[in-house]
Amino acid sequence: MLGELEQVVLLGVLRVGKDAYGVPVHDEIQRRAGRDLTLGTIYKTLTRLEDKGLVASYIGAPTAERGGRRTRCYTVTAAGKRSLQATFKALRHMAAGLDVGLEPT
Amino acid sequence: MIRFAIWILERSLRPEVSASVIGDLIEQQQRGALWILGETISALWNLHARPQSGDSLVMTFIGDLRIAARLLRRAPAFTVVSVITLGLAIGATTAIFSVIEPVLLRPLPYPRPERLAFVWERGRDGSRDNVGYATFRDFMSESKTIEYAAAIGDWQPTLSGKDNPERVSGDRVSWQYFRALGVRPEIGRDFLVEDDVPGKNQIVILSHALWKRRYNADASIVGRPISIDDNPMTVVGVMPESFDNVASPGTQIWRVLGYANQPWTCRTCHHLRMLARIRPNVSMDAARTELDQIHKRMERAYPDQYASNGAIVVTMQDEATREFRPALLALSAAVLLVLLIAVANVVNLQLARAVRREEEFAVRVALGASQSRLFRQLLTEGLLLAFLGGAAGLLVARSSLPLLVSRLPMSMPRLGVIHIDMAALGAVTALVLALTLVMGLAPARGPVRDLGINLRSGRRLSGGNRTTRAALVVGEVALAVMLLVSAGLVGRSLIRLLSVDAGFDPTHLLTLQVNSSGANYREDAAVIAHHDRVRELVGALPGVTSVALANQLPLGGNTDMYGVLDPENIPSNPELVPSGDRYVVTPGYFATMRIPILRGRVFTAADAADTANKVVLVSAALAQRMWPGANPLGKRLRVGGIKGPNRVVIGVTGNVRHRGLDATTTLQWYVPEHQWLEADNQVVLVVRTAGDPAAIAPTVRKTIASIDASQPIINVATMDQVIATSTTQRRLALVLFGAFAVAALLLSVAGIYGVLAGSVAERTREIGVRSALGATPANIVGLIVRQGGRLSAVGILLGLAGSLALTRYLRTLLFGIGPNDPATLVGVAMLLGLVTLLACLIPGTRAARVDPSRALQSE
Repeated sequence: MLGELEQVVLLGVLRVGKDAYGVPVHDEIQRRAGRDLTLGTIYKTLTRLEDKGLVASYIGAPTAERGGRRTRCYTVTAAGKRSLQATFKALRHMAAGLDVGLEPT
Repeated sequence: MIRFAIWILERSLRPEVSASVIGDLIEQQQRGALWILGETISALWNLHARPQSGDSLVMTFIGDLRIAARLLRRAPAFTVVSVITLGLAIGATTAIFSVIEPVLLRPLPYPRPERLAFVWERGRDGSRDNVGYATFRDFMSESKTIEYAAAIGDWQPTLSGKDNPERVSGDRVSWQYFRALGVRPEIGRDFLVEDDVPGKNQIVILSHALWKRRYNADASIVGRPISIDDNPMTVVGVMPESFDNVASPGTQIWRVLGYANQPWTCRTCHHLRMLARIRPNVSMDAARTELDQIHKRMERAYPDQYASNGAIVVTMQDEATREFRPALLALSAAVLLVLLIAVANVVNLQLARAVRREEEFAVRVALGASQSRLFRQLLTEGLLLAFLGGAAGLLVARSSLPLLVSRLPMSMPRLGVIHIDMAALGAVTALVLALTLVMGLAPARGPVRDLGINLRSGRRLSGGNRTTRAALVVGEVALAVMLLVSAGLVGRSLIRLLSVDAGFDPTHLLTLQVNSSGANYREDAAVIAHHDRVRELVGALPGVTSVALANQLPLGGNTDMYGVLDPENIPSNPELVPSGDRYVVTPGYFATMRIPILRGRVFTAADAADTANKVVLVSAALAQRMWPGANPLGKRLRVGGIKGPNRVVIGVTGNVRHRGLDATTTLQWYVPEHQWLEADNQVVLVVRTAGDPAAIAPTVRKTIASIDASQPIINVATMDQVIATSTTQRRLALVLFGAFAVAALLLSVAGIYGVLAGSVAERTREIGVRSALGATPANIVGLIVRQGGRLSAVGILLGLAGSLALTRYLRTLLFGIGPNDPATLVGVAMLLGLVTLLACLIPGTRAARVDPSRALQSE
């Protein structure tokens, strides 16, 4: 079962798709979930996810607007997608039949 | 900011981690410095790896910081109390020093400010006295040490105009004034020597603030005439916004003096201040000697026109700060004491915590942590606490400084440049950190060294720690006593001051200034008709008991004195003639002010109308000075020079406090309005009301405006407000000293409580044994109270000794009591004794409830 931060970041990486590094993931999470995570939090979560094998990273090209620094971009691995599915499934089972407005409409 | 972020991140994080974050930060740096700072801290926090051998110091430090933060978060009560305590103390100290730095310490905002000096005549009693224009002129022509100099006179013009007449505070200055200061107008030109003559002196320079406010920053105003007191005067320049007129703070307009060869250029007309810039190659002492000798030559040349004794030369910086220096220094000392107490309290809390953490340390030592590692840990915790305290202090200073500044006297120089002094904040925080470390680490040595033994033996607590805590509490109590004594002295002084009999009844009085200036009031008859109309209409308002007009009121801050002569006994040197406050009043004045008539009678309408037989009332002190022991009624008096008409004394009044409740009493004389030389264009209306005088103010205002709406009505205030204003500085000192003293009291009581509570917890076993052996609960309470009482008694004694040594520096803030006022000392000692007793009782009763069986079993 994934932590809440891990779910948000995984979904963020999935939504960004190509070239998912800190800034776009941050902006996507802010836009969709209304949460202003710091880059540090995001990279820390991504590092943890990578240790667990749920995301994979590759080094991007250095650009001038980044002061010659390379980006580190992330993609969600098959294991990561399975984890998300398992987490969502577990949540759905837990919520099934409860009258608190959790059922997907 | 971004460079700092890159610098610290590159040194703190592994390169493969730092590159992506730094890249992101560079890419997004347009989000601002604050964002970068936040992200940097977050990155350091989140992405930093566990320290390994060979890691940089920064990385270990961050590791320590994480542990420290976690520990602080786990002890929220300790953290919150410490941060609030430190924050309040750091904030208050920063606020006070933010005022002191620009007001007292910062050089004046002029080039070579140390060359600027005021030149005064030295009075017989050593006091400083203004100079007359002739004296100023002679100084100028004879001195070789003066580069530029200017004479400054008070000026309160009304900016007249179609709609909104306005009184502003101004200065009349001789032409070199701005040259002496070393500043030039921003727009237009400076005063020139040819402006400074009678007839050509209808020329003014505006302050930047007035130009912006009243003339909408319109540069074309320069060269145009504006209407001042209904005369056209040409604006020749506007001063820059940065110009701060330290010689008279708040001045909005300057007019060139133009005094040469006027009748009021005499040597005995002391109404000008003299500012001089001393030549660059001359020492201040040389200038002092030269000017003193020039003045002494003048005294020899005109023996019947001087009663002074040489000249006093004071640097402008000293002069500007003279009035406020003692109070500000006393306050800064007080706030530093509070800071010390706060630090002592926080250290005390830390030590109490250290006792509980002995096991943690012991375990870490057992697991191989080096002593230096543990010290570094403590150091980091102190640093983090000081940093949080500093941040809280910034918030406190930010919210309290504007409040403080708004209550400072308007006459204080450099008010406009006061802002939070970040250097002071940093210095105070660093001081707090240093004190915390010195006080907190030294005693921690013992436990850390002996930890291994402690862990094995299960023994608890080290004696050194307990002694230190007791010493800290004694110190806190002593400092609190000193602050309470100071606050008590200042407070008792204010009470004494307010109970001074002002010589009139200030309750139910409304005062305001009535103007009659401009083209319609060239004739005295018109002015007096206006006054009569004001009295008639306001006097008829419901709720008004009586009204009167006077050229000035007691405690109003005016100085309007004339020499008083007995025509039968005229001294040869006019400087030896006593001066008395000029009161030109309407007949109802004494009844309205409730000034007692000791002998004789007051003016009647018949006196007022009779211009041939002039009458005068004198204050008891003036009567005593002129005719000691004799009956003053029927004596004759001349005011305003030898040639003045004789006036017959018809009555003697009680003395009033003209200059201030705390000032030396002056002499007063009263003449009816119609019998004075000329009508005053600005007079004060004083209204005695049946009810609240403030409530009737709008009606009175409206009534006066209905007579002539073109005249400004200003300074509307109740007499109680006037008195409050005359004691502003003392009130402010009392509020601040009081707040500091209360804070000190609370902190020191909390300190005593903390020590005793900790001690009770440590001594549970001992107390259990005692009660098992038959000690009654009363014995146990007594045991604890005695322990606390000893601390408090030593602290109180030390504090009283400290007070005896230091309160004399408060002397300028005191009134009517000595700095070692026994009642205050005894009162404070008793108060602290009582409060500490209460603080002892709580841990005492807790100790008495210790259940012996449980206390003994717990081992």
